[in-house]
Amino acid sequence: MINDKDSQKIVDFIQNFARKQSLFVMAYGTGCGAIEIPATMTSRYDAERFGIRGAATPRQADVLLITGYLATKTLKRVIRVYEQMQEPKYVIGFGSCTINGGMYFDSYNTINALEQYIPVDVYINGCMPRPESVISGFVKLQELIQQGKADNGKKYRENLEWYRANQKKIIKNWKMPDYNW
Amino acid sequence: MIREKETTLYLGPQHPGITGNMMVKLKVQGDTVVKAATHVGYLHRAFEKLIERRNWLNAFTLLCRFCVPEPDPMELTYARAVEELDNREVPERAKYIRVIVMELARLQSFMLWYAGQAGSAGLYTLGQWSVGDRNYILDLFEELTGGRIYHMFIWPGGVRRDIPEGWKDKVLKTMDYLEKRQDDYNQLMFDNTIFQKRAQGVGIVPKDKAIEWGVVGPPLRGVGIKSDVRIDEPYEVYDKLNFEVPTAEGGDIWARALVRKEEFRQSISIIRQALEKMPEGEYTNKVPNPMKWVVPEGQAWAKTESVRGEIGFYVASNGTNKPYRVHAKGAAYTHGVTVLEKILPGQNIADVSFIMNSLGVCPPEIER
Amino acid sequence: MTELIKEQHLLDTITNTFKLKGRVIRDRRVEVFADKELVSSILLFAKNQQGFIHLAHMTCIDWIDENKFELIYTIWSPVEKIHLFVKTKIDRENPEMENIDSIWDQANTYEREMREMFGIQFPGLIGEQDFVLEDWDEMPPMRKDFDTAKYASETYFQRPGREDAKDVRETISERSGTKVPDFAKKYSREK
Repeated sequence: MINDKDSQKIVDFIQNFARKQSLFVMAYGTGCGAIEIPATMTSRYDAERFGIRGAATPRQADVLLITGYLATKTLKRVIRVYEQMQEPKYVIGFGSCTINGGMYFDSYNTINALEQYIPVDVYINGCMPRPESVISGFVKLQELIQQGKADNGKKYRENLEWYRANQKKIIKNWKMPDYNW
Repeated sequence: MIREKETTLYLGPQHPGITGNMMVKLKVQGDTVVKAATHVGYLHRAFEKLIERRNWLNAFTLLCRFCVPEPDPMELTYARAVEELDNREVPERAKYIRVIVMELARLQSFMLWYAGQAGSAGLYTLGQWSVGDRNYILDLFEELTGGRIYHMFIWPGGVRRDIPEGWKDKVLKTMDYLEKRQDDYNQLMFDNTIFQKRAQGVGIVPKDKAIEWGVVGPPLRGVGIKSDVRIDEPYEVYDKLNFEVPTAEGGDIWARALVRKEEFRQSISIIRQALEKMPEGEYTNKVPNPMKWVVPEGQAWAKTESVRGEIGFYVASNGTNKPYRVHAKGAAYTHGVTVLEKILPGQNIADVSFIMNSLGVCPPEIER
Repeated sequence: MTELIKEQHLLDTITNTFKLKGRVIRDRRVEVFADKELVSSILLFAKNQQGFIHLAHMTCIDWIDENKFELIYTIWSPVEKIHLFVKTKIDRENPEMENIDSIWDQANTYEREMREMFGIQFPGLIGEQDFVLEDWDEMPPMRKDFDTAKYASETYFQRPGREDAKDVRETISERSGTKVPDFAKKYSREK
């Protein structure tokens, strides 16, 4: 029954519908964008209306929010966090710094384009993005999930070598467990 | 018998209780901390290097990002250092506007502190209230400067814009509201037995060592030493305004919380006075063409009082259109490293983030 | 400038004790220039006998044209309410400076940062080699001859800019098939 093409469609629809309604955001403030997260989560903007809420550990989280610039030292931790997350997992690049380096384009310690190191589903531009744009970014992500287009966890697994090569170019001392699950 | 074996515990960088992207490496025995070491660098963006590549005004876009919860003191401190180097006068009205901006920044930062301090004790309601109310101050900022978090509003020679029409009344209305709301916050925080039990006698900064360790701001006032840049070295128009510098005895988290609670009141009172006394006139002197602006050779040091303590900027110019060297020192530079490493041993693991919140450890300020 | 008696007195005390040059910059600001061997004794003297108990700041400036590093110790007296700047210049080749973290514990942090950012050695300094950076094998980055833009463009992926020189609103509206709002038309670059 489940192998039937049409029933699979229905199962996918229900799965995606359920997934998009409960996005647990990894509570890791990697950069200065983390200051707008409390505002987004609390009473005025109340992101929990959309099923967005915090998760304390990577293994319980669905969304990794990269809030702003990534120093190379943090990039290593972010990769570790991302690899610990269970699929399906999504990444939101938050702020101009994740897109092209923003105002830190010439800094020796921050990366300039996030999707070279981990796959990104949605970018939210601005410095700093307002809570409204954060929520609109999440809504965009929900649309992608509903359409079944947000499968970057799979993409990362399949292109692991390419990502690893990029990551190792920056992180010189690579002492991390293998990503094998 | 309990095994008295030392374990290493890495608190952070990914940890919900930590006050930002940093790591505290703890040696623990049971759940008592034996040794602590701060590890920073997760937010290092090389500001000081980048400012050397920007011109004197462009530096402001970077400067305000030094510390996220309270960006305005950075702008003011740098602007004052540049004014000293270039002998620029500031109109009287601009000085009052600067004071209002600074105190609004203090208020919104205090509200974040309320949320963090209570949140690390498990009192999440207060966070919902104070961070929600903080939006009212950010709205005022947005109307005045155009930005919610980062303003880039203060510049050498004045401020960027005059206050808009009707803004004054909105500020007064917000202040009335916040004054009422603060009673609610205090009720949730100071009347709560959990908070009392956890805060009293925890995280004590010894009085005789405090200045030597580089403690500044509310933690220093919390040990009973009356020290505030606003009265020690008055800048802008702080010498024309009446305000108290509260102190408390004990040096524990409770004392620091009491100091901050009273400072919140004082900030509201300062804003009211400044709005009342603000004269008419120009809001800025002419700022030269930033591409051609050459600041004379020299070095200047300026410091201001932020929520966490004194913030100082050392600015050196070699007579070109770019700063030669800008070095910032925030309060967290000492609070987050020396002081934290010294007072953590002997505390509980559960109290670590509680203590960090009360010291005002802001990692981007440490590594910049 | 006639009222600076306190500052002048302090300057005279220190310059006469150590035979130094110095000046009163303005009210609450006094600076003295010292050789690097004298710095720690001046700081100890100021701390123990003149009441400068707070180390406000320590910094280093790279004067590459002179081939010198300038180290500046800013100390503050809560009683007199004066800043004293103790300035010294050391050689840029194999820079070495006395470690003062026995005078102020917090100096340790500044010195660790300077060791990493400028490559100045402080004999006897406790603390891990890495303070801010991790696995850094280039020249100490805050030195003036380190080119951060070059390093960034060689190391990190640079996203190419947009090829059309249009206003960003027009690009977005073309991409998404919506109309540019009227208020945004005045920013258009196609006149």
